[in-house]
Amino acid sequence: MGKTLFEKIWDSHVVVEKDNGPSLIYVDRHLVHEVTSPQAFDGLRMNNRKVRRPDLTIATMDHNVPTTDRGLPILDQTSSIQIKTLEKNCKDFGIKLFDINSSNQGIVHVIGPQLGITLPGSTIVCGDSHTSTHGAFGALAFGIGTSDVEHVLASQTIWLEKPKSFEIKVEGKRKNPHAVTAKDIILSIIKNIGTGGGTGTVIEYSGEGITDLSMEQRMTICNMSIEAGARAGLVAPDEKTFDYLRNREYTPENYDFLVDYWRENLKTDSDAKFDKTYTLNIDKIVPQVSWGTNPGMTCDVTASVPFPEDFAKDDLNQQKAAEKSLQYMNLKPGTPITDIKIDRVFIGSCTNARLEDLIEASKVIKGKKVSQNVRAMVVPGSQMVKKKAEEIGLDKIFTDANFEWREAGCSMCLGMNPDILSPGERCASTSNRNFEGRQGTGGRTHLVSPIMAAAAAIEGHFVDVREMDLS
Amino acid sequence: MKGNVIKYERDNIDTDVIIPGQYLKIHDYSELASHAMEGLDPQFHSKVKEGDFILSGKNFGCGSSREHAPIALSHSGIKAVLALSFARIFYRNAVDGAFLLPIEIEEDAYHGISEGDEIDIDVKLNEIKNLTKNQSYKMKPFSEIIGKIIEAGGLFKYKPD
Repeated sequence: MGKTLFEKIWDSHVVVEKDNGPSLIYVDRHLVHEVTSPQAFDGLRMNNRKVRRPDLTIATMDHNVPTTDRGLPILDQTSSIQIKTLEKNCKDFGIKLFDINSSNQGIVHVIGPQLGITLPGSTIVCGDSHTSTHGAFGALAFGIGTSDVEHVLASQTIWLEKPKSFEIKVEGKRKNPHAVTAKDIILSIIKNIGTGGGTGTVIEYSGEGITDLSMEQRMTICNMSIEAGARAGLVAPDEKTFDYLRNREYTPENYDFLVDYWRENLKTDSDAKFDKTYTLNIDKIVPQVSWGTNPGMTCDVTASVPFPEDFAKDDLNQQKAAEKSLQYMNLKPGTPITDIKIDRVFIGSCTNARLEDLIEASKVIKGKKVSQNVRAMVVPGSQMVKKKAEEIGLDKIFTDANFEWREAGCSMCLGMNPDILSPGERCASTSNRNFEGRQGTGGRTHLVSPIMAAAAAIEGHFVDVREMDLS
Repeated sequence: MKGNVIKYERDNIDTDVIIPGQYLKIHDYSELASHAMEGLDPQFHSKVKEGDFILSGKNFGCGSSREHAPIALSHSGIKAVLALSFARIFYRNAVDGAFLLPIEIEEDAYHGISEGDEIDIDVKLNEIKNLTKNQSYKMKPFSEIIGKIIEAGGLFKYKPD
């Protein structure tokens, strides 16, 4: 019987295989950031260990960096300490760091691909759950905790229980690909399979609905695999993948040789069997908006806030969860989604802050102004995204419309830096999690695509972007 | 291992409510613990006692990979979390750092055990005894290596065969 892409990558990285329980897996790339690494480096020091492969380890600071002028000092003392600690750790252990002043600084999952550090067929880990993003390139990439970060620093390996394989086929064609985006596809998937639907699996996304997508859109899909509980998401690499990574700063010298190998080997065999499959047809999908406090609590922009009993379908736990969510979100069942007024807009995060995301978002705001009662910000995913966006004049389009145009970082996705919601504020956000308090204590998050967020900023409430002029 | 149960009858308790993002800059574990579960239950810190257990539904610990989550619970005194299922990163973090035991239970334990019940967990027999209600339930056994990592006291004390 043939093998899935996941099994091929897994098999080529096994150091020690165990039948019952985790196997020891080799790690090709280890990405490090300031929040989940300090204790790991402390652990190395305590045990007189070195970083085994500093050449395969890359660090940046993204989670708590301010997104204001980089020339200003960092006012939050604890953030400042965490950032300085990463600088010292990288210096002491000989690790390449893109620091806060580097033109390559940015969200770790945005800079990996843009620098050509993320490669097909490789294994990538990072102390961050959205490491699944890199799977868009056919890499087996997953988030780990700090103990495992220390283990990888010390040994370049990780004990990992072999996940099950899960194929999600995305069939059909989007009717309006500007208005209905990769974000709407992945939110639809999570809405249908649930936040635990992918637990313990590696998802391989396949089908015309995926191959049609650009690399940056595929990253949005793989990024949110973790929100369905999956360890990782994967897309088999194709010519788009190989073109995207060509001539990047860290693209390997023997690139064409590698591409020939990848083209030949990095695909699921036709007779391979997945442990689980799910098919979504996207012919008729419409823009999605989350209404609750997990990403599975999502509906069509044309729908209304659901009644908990309808959402739960006889699952009492789900019904209670929906009731609590609606209470937290201060939403009444039956309210049309397009009647929900918003206070804030956040265009950013490792899900949706790449150049294409910003280009798409800019299409609905040209010549318009942000609604009077809304504060809207754009936080590019990396300093390089910011620079490229400025080269084509996006900054001007956004600032002319009264959006704030900020420096790169994770920002309001997780509320670690000063970019947070005030209690009770409602935000249209292009990020990945609408958990209670995620964007600030008492803040209310609605997950949407960049173009839906931009349109909501202009109108002051959610709108169906399919009805807007996107020419 | 005996203790009392704090029950959260819901699925999908995420690591953002276990320890909100704004506290991830804190290095002092007892200070971190003072904010444990703050996003869901602001009373948690005042009611939790050393040796308590948390009981919850499906997909416990979903979301962010922050190891601060099991650390904050562990330093609050929580020795084990019993749940219908766990998000995988939380599960591994709990085991690898030897912070607490992630124990997978079945529906009978989830519904049978109430807030405040005293229970006795025997990981050798894979059994949970409810001392308050005089009931017992099965727990799902740990896989071989996970069991060995737990026995060794964490990933760095574990020596492969």
